[in-house]
Amino acid sequence: MDERTEPVTAERERAPVIEPGYTFGSVTDKISSIVLTRPTSNGWFFGFGLAFLLTMMMLYAIGYLCVRGTGIWGVTIPIGWGFAIVNFVWWIGIGHAGTLISAILLLLRQSWRNSINRFAEAMTLFAVASAGIFPLIHVGRPWLAYWLFPYPNTMKVWPQFRSPLIWDVFAVSTYATISLLFWFIGLIPDLATLRDRSTNHASRIIYGILAMGWRGSARHWHRYETAYLLLAGLATPLVLSVHTVVSFDFAIGIVPGWHTTIFPPYFVAGAIYSGFAMVLMLSIPIRKIFQLEDFITERHLQNSAKVMLATGLIVAYGYIIEGFMGWYSGNRYDGFTLWNRLHGPYAFFYYMLLICNIVIPQVLWIPRLRSSPIWLFLVSGVVLVGMWLERFIIVVVSLHRDFLTSSWGMYYPTRWDWMTYIGTIGMFLAAMFLFVRVLPMISIFEMRTLLPEAEVKE
Amino acid sequence: MSPARVDNLDLMAPPIIRTIGRRSLVVGLIFAALSLIGAFIRPDQFFRAYLLSFMAWLGVCLGSMAILMLRHLTKGGWGMIIRRILGAAMRTLPLLALLFIPIFLGLPKLYIWARPLDSISDQHLREHLQQVTQSYLSVSGFAIRAVIYFVIWGGLIFFLTRWSSEQDHPSARDNSTRFKALSGPGLVLYGFTISFAAIDWVMSIDPSWISTIYGLSFLIGEVLSALCFAVVVERILFRYKPMSELLKPDYVHDHGKLMLAFIMVWAYFAFSQWLIIWAGNLPDEITWYMRRLNGGWGYVGLFLVLFHFAVPFVFLLSRPFKRDVTRLVWLAIWIMLMRYLDLYWMIEPNFSQKLSVTWADVVVPFAVGGLWLGYFFHNLASKPLVPAYDVSANEVLEPVHD
Repeated sequence: MDERTEPVTAERERAPVIEPGYTFGSVTDKISSIVLTRPTSNGWFFGFGLAFLLTMMMLYAIGYLCVRGTGIWGVTIPIGWGFAIVNFVWWIGIGHAGTLISAILLLLRQSWRNSINRFAEAMTLFAVASAGIFPLIHVGRPWLAYWLFPYPNTMKVWPQFRSPLIWDVFAVSTYATISLLFWFIGLIPDLATLRDRSTNHASRIIYGILAMGWRGSARHWHRYETAYLLLAGLATPLVLSVHTVVSFDFAIGIVPGWHTTIFPPYFVAGAIYSGFAMVLMLSIPIRKIFQLEDFITERHLQNSAKVMLATGLIVAYGYIIEGFMGWYSGNRYDGFTLWNRLHGPYAFFYYMLLICNIVIPQVLWIPRLRSSPIWLFLVSGVVLVGMWLERFIIVVVSLHRDFLTSSWGMYYPTRWDWMTYIGTIGMFLAAMFLFVRVLPMISIFEMRTLLPEAEVKE
Repeated sequence: MSPARVDNLDLMAPPIIRTIGRRSLVVGLIFAALSLIGAFIRPDQFFRAYLLSFMAWLGVCLGSMAILMLRHLTKGGWGMIIRRILGAAMRTLPLLALLFIPIFLGLPKLYIWARPLDSISDQHLREHLQQVTQSYLSVSGFAIRAVIYFVIWGGLIFFLTRWSSEQDHPSARDNSTRFKALSGPGLVLYGFTISFAAIDWVMSIDPSWISTIYGLSFLIGEVLSALCFAVVVERILFRYKPMSELLKPDYVHDHGKLMLAFIMVWAYFAFSQWLIIWAGNLPDEITWYMRRLNGGWGYVGLFLVLFHFAVPFVFLLSRPFKRDVTRLVWLAIWIMLMRYLDLYWMIEPNFSQKLSVTWADVVVPFAVGGLWLGYFFHNLASKPLVPAYDVSANEVLEPVHD
C-alpha cells in the first residue's frame, strides 16, 4: 500500500495482519486443511523430487569426500577454508531471521510475527542443519569430529578453549537445540489440533504422540505460555551470540580483512539481512500457492522489507568504515587488502557484492516496491547472492594474498564443492517441502489470537 | 480530539523549569569564568577537559536527535512523552557549534597531527603522519568536515523542530509521514556523521590507532546518555503538572527497557573491541589498551565494566525498578556519570601515562554543562510538553480526561 494514499489516522499503524472476515473455525480450517485434506499436488511431488535428487547428489559428494579426503575440494594452502566455511557462514546467517522473528519479535509484542514465525523457525532449523554439515565434513575425518567436545578421554586430548572455533561448536549446538525446542513447543497446541481433526488412523497416532497429551486445559495453556516466554528469553541472546562467535572465527585471527573490530555487529546485521531475504523468498511463493494472502499480508512483506533495508544499511556501513579505515590506518597490509579487493583477481566478485548488497536493495526505500511481491522476491534473491559473495570475499580474498608474496595463491572450487553446496540447498528445500506438507506452516492458535473475537475485555 | 479539550489543558512546562534554567546558567557562567582563568594558566589541561566536556554534552544533544528519529519511525507512547524533552535537548546544537570553536584554538595541544612534523621525535609516527596529514588529518580538512557535520545535524534538527512546532496548533496537518521520510535517511546520516566526527575529534588524538567499531561505540554511548538525560528531566517534571498526570508506569517501563538494551549494546561493542584487539595482540592496536590498562587506568576500566555494565544490568532486570521513575532516575544519573567516565577513559590516557585528575576535569564539565543546561531548560520551557495536535498524541493525553 502506498503510504501517501493511506488514510491519515492513528489507525493507520494497525493495518491488518490478518484480513477481515475470519472466525476461529475458518482460520483453523484454512491452515489445517493444507495438511489434512488438500490433495498433494503434482507440483509438490515435482518440487520435492527435484530437491530430493539434489540431496542425493550432496550425499554422494560427501560419501566420496569420506573416501578420498578434502583433497577433492579446491582448498589448498593458503586458502584452507574455501567453500566449506563460506557456505557454513551463509547458512548460519540465514537461520538468524527465524530466531529473531520467533523470539525477539515475541518479546517486543509484535503481533505481525504470528503468521510467519512457524515457517521461519522451520527455516532456521533446516538452515542450521545445512550449516552444520560443512564444519563437520571440513574437519577431514568427520568420524572423529566428536573430539571437538571436551570430554575426559585416555588420549589426554582437550580442546583449545581460546580458539573461537571451539566457541563455535558450543554456540551452534546450543543454537540448534534451543531453536528445535522453541519450534517444537510452539507446535504442540497445533499438533493436538491436527490429531483431533485427522481422519486417518495412522496420522492420528503420530500427531497424538507428538502432541504429548495436550488437551488445551487452562493449566496447559498457562504452563505453555510460561515455557514459551522463557525460551524466547533464552533464544534472544542467541540471535546476537551465534553470529558474533562466527565473526570471531575471523576477527580473532590477524589476517588483514579478518582482523577488524566491526565484525561482530556487522556479521549479525548481515545474518539478519540474509535471513529475512530467505523468509521473503519462501513466503512469497508459499502465500501464492496455498492462497494464504489473507494471513501473510502486505504488512508482513512491508515489515520484512523494512528489516532488510535497515540491516542492509548496517552492512553497508561496515563496508564503508572498513574501506575507510583500510586507507586511513596507513597499514600497508590493510591497504593492500582493500586494493586487492578492488583490483585483484577476484575484483569482479567484489563489485558484484557491492551491487547486490548495497546498490540494488536501496530500491526498498520506495514504499510501493516494499509491498510488491515480485520486486521483493527479486531483491531477496539478489541479497542472498550478495551475502554469499560477501562470505566468499571475506574467506577467499583475504586468505589468497596475505603477508608474504611468495605464499600467494588462487582458489578454484571443484565440482565436488559445487555439488555439496547445491546439494545443501536441495536438502534445505526438501525439508521445507516435507514441512509444509505434514505440519501446519502457520501457527493456528496464534493466528486465532489476532482475530477480533479473541480480544478479552478486561 | 476537539480543540476545546486541548485548550483546557496546560501543557506548558511548570515555571520551576525556567528557574532551574537560570540557576544552571549562573553556575555555568561562574565555572566558565574559572575555566577561562585556568585556560590561561594551564592551557594543556584545559583543552583536554574541554574536549571531554564538549563530547559529553554533544552526546546528549545528538543522542536526543537520534532517539527522536527512532520514535518517528516506530511510534509508541514512550517516545511521545519525552518527545519535547528530546526536542529541547537537540535544539541546543547552535550553542554546541559555538562551543566547538575553542577546540580550534587548542588543535596543536590536542592533536599531534596538528603540530609541525619536525617537532615529533618518534620517527615511526612521523612517517605515518606524513602520509595521513597530507591526505586526511589536516587542519583545513578537519575544519571543513566539522562544518559538514554541523550543517547536516543542523538541517535535520531544523526540520524536525519546525514540523513538530506545527503540531501545537489546532489547524495542524498530519506530519507523521514527513517525519518518517526524514527520519529514515536522517538516522543513516547520523550514523555516518557521528562515526566520522568521532574519528576526527577523539580517535585521531592517537593517529596511529584504528578500530572499525569505534564510531558505533560512540553512537550507542550518545544514545544511552541522551535517554538517561531524558529520564532525569522526566523525573523533575513528574513533580508538577502536567507531567504528573501524563507519565504512566508503562512509559517509564519502556524507558527502562531501552536503557537496558542500550547498556547491553554498549557492553557488547566494548567487549568485542577488547577481545578482538587483545587476541590479535598487534603492536598497532594493543598499545591503545596497554595505555588504558596500566598506570592506574586499569582500575578505571574495571570500574566501567562493573558500574557501566554489570551493576546497572542487574538493577534493570527488575520490573518494579524499571516502572518507578523515582527509582529509575538514580540509575539514569549514575549512567550519565559513567558515560562521562567512559569518555574520560578514552581521551585522557592519550595524554597521561598515569591516572590523573586535574582541576580542569572537574571545573570545565560544569562550565559547559551549566551553559548547556541553561539553554536546554530555556528551550524546554518555550514549548508545550506534548504536541497536542499530533495524530498520535491522544494516546498520551487521554488519561487526563478520565
